[in-house]
Amino acid sequence: MSGTTPAPVEAVSKHRERPKNGGQGVVERRSQLQIWGKSALLAIILLWCLFPFFWLIMTSFKKGDLALNSPNLFQGPFGFQNYEAVFSLNFHLNLRNSFIVAGTTTVICIIVGSLAGYAIARLPMKRKVLLLSGILAVSLFPPVALVPPLYELWLRLGLLNTWEGLYIPYTAFTLPLTIFILVTFYASIPKDLEEAARVDGATPFQAFYRVILPLAAPGVFAAAIIIFVQAWNEFLLANTFAPRNPEIAQTVPVAIAAFTGAVPFQRPIGTITAACVIVTIPMIIVALVFQKRIVAGLTAGSVKG
Amino acid sequence: MADTQTASARGPADAGPGGPRAAKRKGLSERTLAKVFVSPSILLMALVALFPVIWAVVISLYAYSRRQQVGFGGLDNYITALTDGRFWDAVWFTFVFTVTSVTFEFLSGMGFALIMNQAFRGRGVTRAAILIPWVIPTVIAAQMWFFMFNVTPGFINNLLGLGNFNWLGQPGWPIFAVVFADVWKTAPFVALLLLAGLQTIPGDVYESARVDNASMFQRFFYITLPLLKPAILVALLFRTVDALRVYDLPAVMTGGAFGTESLAILVREFVVRTPNPGYGAALSTLTFILVLGIGMIFVTLLGRDLVIGTEEER
Repeated sequence: MSGTTPAPVEAVSKHRERPKNGGQGVVERRSQLQIWGKSALLAIILLWCLFPFFWLIMTSFKKGDLALNSPNLFQGPFGFQNYEAVFSLNFHLNLRNSFIVAGTTTVICIIVGSLAGYAIARLPMKRKVLLLSGILAVSLFPPVALVPPLYELWLRLGLLNTWEGLYIPYTAFTLPLTIFILVTFYASIPKDLEEAARVDGATPFQAFYRVILPLAAPGVFAAAIIIFVQAWNEFLLANTFAPRNPEIAQTVPVAIAAFTGAVPFQRPIGTITAACVIVTIPMIIVALVFQKRIVAGLTAGSVKG
Repeated sequence: MADTQTASARGPADAGPGGPRAAKRKGLSERTLAKVFVSPSILLMALVALFPVIWAVVISLYAYSRRQQVGFGGLDNYITALTDGRFWDAVWFTFVFTVTSVTFEFLSGMGFALIMNQAFRGRGVTRAAILIPWVIPTVIAAQMWFFMFNVTPGFINNLLGLGNFNWLGQPGWPIFAVVFADVWKTAPFVALLLLAGLQTIPGDVYESARVDNASMFQRFFYITLPLLKPAILVALLFRTVDALRVYDLPAVMTGGAFGTESLAILVREFVVRTPNPGYGAALSTLTFILVLGIGMIFVTLLGRDLVIGTEEER
């Protein structure tokens, strides 16, 4: 895989060259003080992004009522109680549902979207501008607009509280983004490669399948992560079409929003924070490991948050 | 370039087991292939996104009682919606939320991007960290900030020495908490988009401006901003449209209480909790027109390059 990286990533990694030619002369002139000042500013950004997670983790380990009564983060006793409580509420089934729904969305989106992306980026087509405008319009659709009609439809088709009822609309909503990201990546692959394949006697389909698709793998991967994250995080449709029952289709965000505790009108802070940590840690790891891919995909598709 | 009807399939690449089968597809010209490739996407989007929106318009014209259709109502549902104070309250909240959150996200995102573009040490780490608020579910951010703002345990009150100030339980303040949580979650994302834009500006432009003795502010306003305009517009478009559909944060943090009911919360209310499909559909259609209308204003501002941007001919 690493051998195929250069072409698509090149477009995105311009920024890594800039400090070399644009910045170097400046570094020498800058005093040490200024560099430290800038690092301090960076530290503020880091703190802004990461401190709430520190709060979350500390709170999730507090025992019993302590989490609700003491704002002091370092006041113990600490323990794993809350984590045991989360799994006794079938949270592992919520995780399963989310994995299946987000995974299926990703697979369908990638298959369908990479075909369309390739056609738009490379193949001759009539009314391409119209098509792209239509796709853009769909990406601006507010999901709420689908809530009343799809609820009625799902009610009749028996798709409420099912995985299908969730990943079908997710796929439709994530497709525009997928297509935009992939069009950008396909367009960055040199055209000569296909032409060479065609000269060797490959059909247009073979040129796509054997030559272009493997080269687009990094872009496809970037798109896949972003689709997965968006499907995993979706709340409005999940909360409307599958609001209850972890055994059937309730997803992680819905469960985290719906946890109720022993005391009425009081949210169980321990269970909720523990569930949040369980979900957040793997996502942080994904963000760290694949940060370059994700940034490349995000900037290629100029995604919504 | 023309059809490859006659070319032989004996190329070395075809030696695999799929060879003979692929050879049968010889007839597919590029134009046909393009249609075949694009149609599943179009079909899916038309069936699951476009069709329901049109169907919602149809539903919205009927009167319902207890989820049963009781007759054609014409524009009744729309008249009810447009004369209902609750609808306008939701419009007002959604509007205020969008303007304030997008403004603050843009300003802090721009600040972040400029800092990261300048820094030499620790930029990689920061760029990784900045992704984290984006990657976690909004529901988690909402719960997290709910508890931080909440009177118990009172983390923010303790930090600011505010005693038992009730951020989420009195009129006027919950919207601040909701906007704050949104800015926390999305400003880093705006920063990423703007940073990508900043990095496409060649360094020598600044170099020559410096030679001409342009001040830092002059460089920012006369070089950075104009060259960054496309990236800014794209970021604003997606953030605005996204903020207009806000649901997760107010739904989890306040449940829509104290003037934080967004249009999305209102629509869902009339679909699930107070089932009135006709009225719900009228509300959703109004929301749809509003959001798409504002989106289209941006798109016309951006012009063709938003769509075409990346491709060359045809």
